[in-house]
Amino acid sequence: MRTLLVLLALTTAAVAADPAVIEKGRQEEQRTCLPCHSLRIIHSNRLSRAGWNKELDKMAGWGTKYSDREAILEYLVANFGDDKPVTPPDMTTDGSAKK
Amino acid sequence: MQANRRQLFAALIAAAAARKIKAADGITIPGKRPLILHNDRPEDLETPVKYLNTWVTPLDAFFVRQHIPRPAAIDPAKYRVTISGMVSKESQITLADLQKLPQHTVPATLECTGNGRAFYTPKLPGIQWGRGGVGNAEWTGPRLSDVLKLAGVNTAAKFLEIDGADSGVMQTPDFVRCMPMEKVMHPATLLALKMNGETPDIHGVPARLVVPGWDGTSWVKWVIRLTPTAKESGGFFMNPGYRYPKYALPPGTPARPAELEVIEGMPVKSTLTFPEDQSKITLAPMVIRGFAWAGENAIERVEVSTDGGAKWLPAQLSTQKLPFAWRLFNLNWTPKEPGYYTILSRATDTAGRVQPIVPAWNPSGYLWNGIDKVGITVEKA
Repeated sequence: MRTLLVLLALTTAAVAADPAVIEKGRQEEQRTCLPCHSLRIIHSNRLSRAGWNKELDKMAGWGTKYSDREAILEYLVANFGDDKPVTPPDMTTDGSAKK
Repeated sequence: MQANRRQLFAALIAAAAARKIKAADGITIPGKRPLILHNDRPEDLETPVKYLNTWVTPLDAFFVRQHIPRPAAIDPAKYRVTISGMVSKESQITLADLQKLPQHTVPATLECTGNGRAFYTPKLPGIQWGRGGVGNAEWTGPRLSDVLKLAGVNTAAKFLEIDGADSGVMQTPDFVRCMPMEKVMHPATLLALKMNGETPDIHGVPARLVVPGWDGTSWVKWVIRLTPTAKESGGFFMNPGYRYPKYALPPGTPARPAELEVIEGMPVKSTLTFPEDQSKITLAPMVIRGFAWAGENAIERVEVSTDGGAKWLPAQLSTQKLPFAWRLFNLNWTPKEPGYYTILSRATDTAGRVQPIVPAWNPSGYLWNGIDKVGITVEKA
């Protein structure tokens, strides 16, 4: 039983690292998230798998339809997991002279 | 005709080049100097704290928080506030009606409820605000109580529901808040028509709520509806949004809905504006600067430490000791020798509340008010 669990865990990890799945998740992010907001709000966060899962549920509740929920979750965990370093935000350029 | 085609072609090339330049240059927000860009659609912009060294924060430096896209610019002539619900006469109030009421100016600090979220461990979802989701402005407009009198509020009404003109995308919830009548009727609670004497669309004109001492989420922008009610109401932005545990939770644990309550007044807090964190400074006398605020209370004192908290020295405070508005503080200091120094600030308010070393973790990362800290390297002159 334990061997089976270890094998299952290894299989899941292998799926998580699959670049094709990650790429699919990246495209899914473009398709499902951009209609409502830009991606900075996503990419500035660093969350656990459970944390990203909860965020995906929240967005689904607000009308987001995922065609591949697993792929977007893997993409988010792989790039913006809580083990990933924080990237400092950009600055806006000077617009103080414009109204 | 030929020339027109050529002109059109040239214009198209110029437009394409302009788009390219804009993309390369990044995001520009009209009316704002360079700010920390957390999000551009909708706009979530944080002020670098070095700009927060004056009692009134200039509009071009003031932080911006939008939950959902801001509405298209509102024509002041067509602007109406509907007063409905528990009133003697449902009314449509114009901007001219609001301008005719007695105008009051209230200086007050506005702080995003999630300011400092980035400092919590474990990390929390949401805008990763650092230290600059805060500003102090002079707000001018009629008292909210005077506005409601125009429609005659039923005395049995215990709450006021407030709706802004911003609305959600797809099924994102509408931005509606609800506030107890006691705070609604407070003489400092305004429906502000001006901020620092101006009318900046990005900050909620023609009229926004000013709820001195309460979290930024209560300060509804572009107000279009006021509805007195008998019971607390409101959608996502009242529940489960913007709630805080009644008692402290172990970091990283979820709260049961019954353990959460609506956030009202803000805690005591101070922030250092000079020297800048991780800066290098030549050994010489300097003035450590910052600002401190305390929700509905005034600031009583601020202490500063230049040795990581072993010794604390009282800072000088700006003279105006007001509820709702921040006080600036400063301390003259000459480092004894070159080296790395950890500078801290700690505020105490008129109710005796003291800024903690470790603020209580909470599942949405609200109300961070830990003792502020900057590190500097002092080099030989």
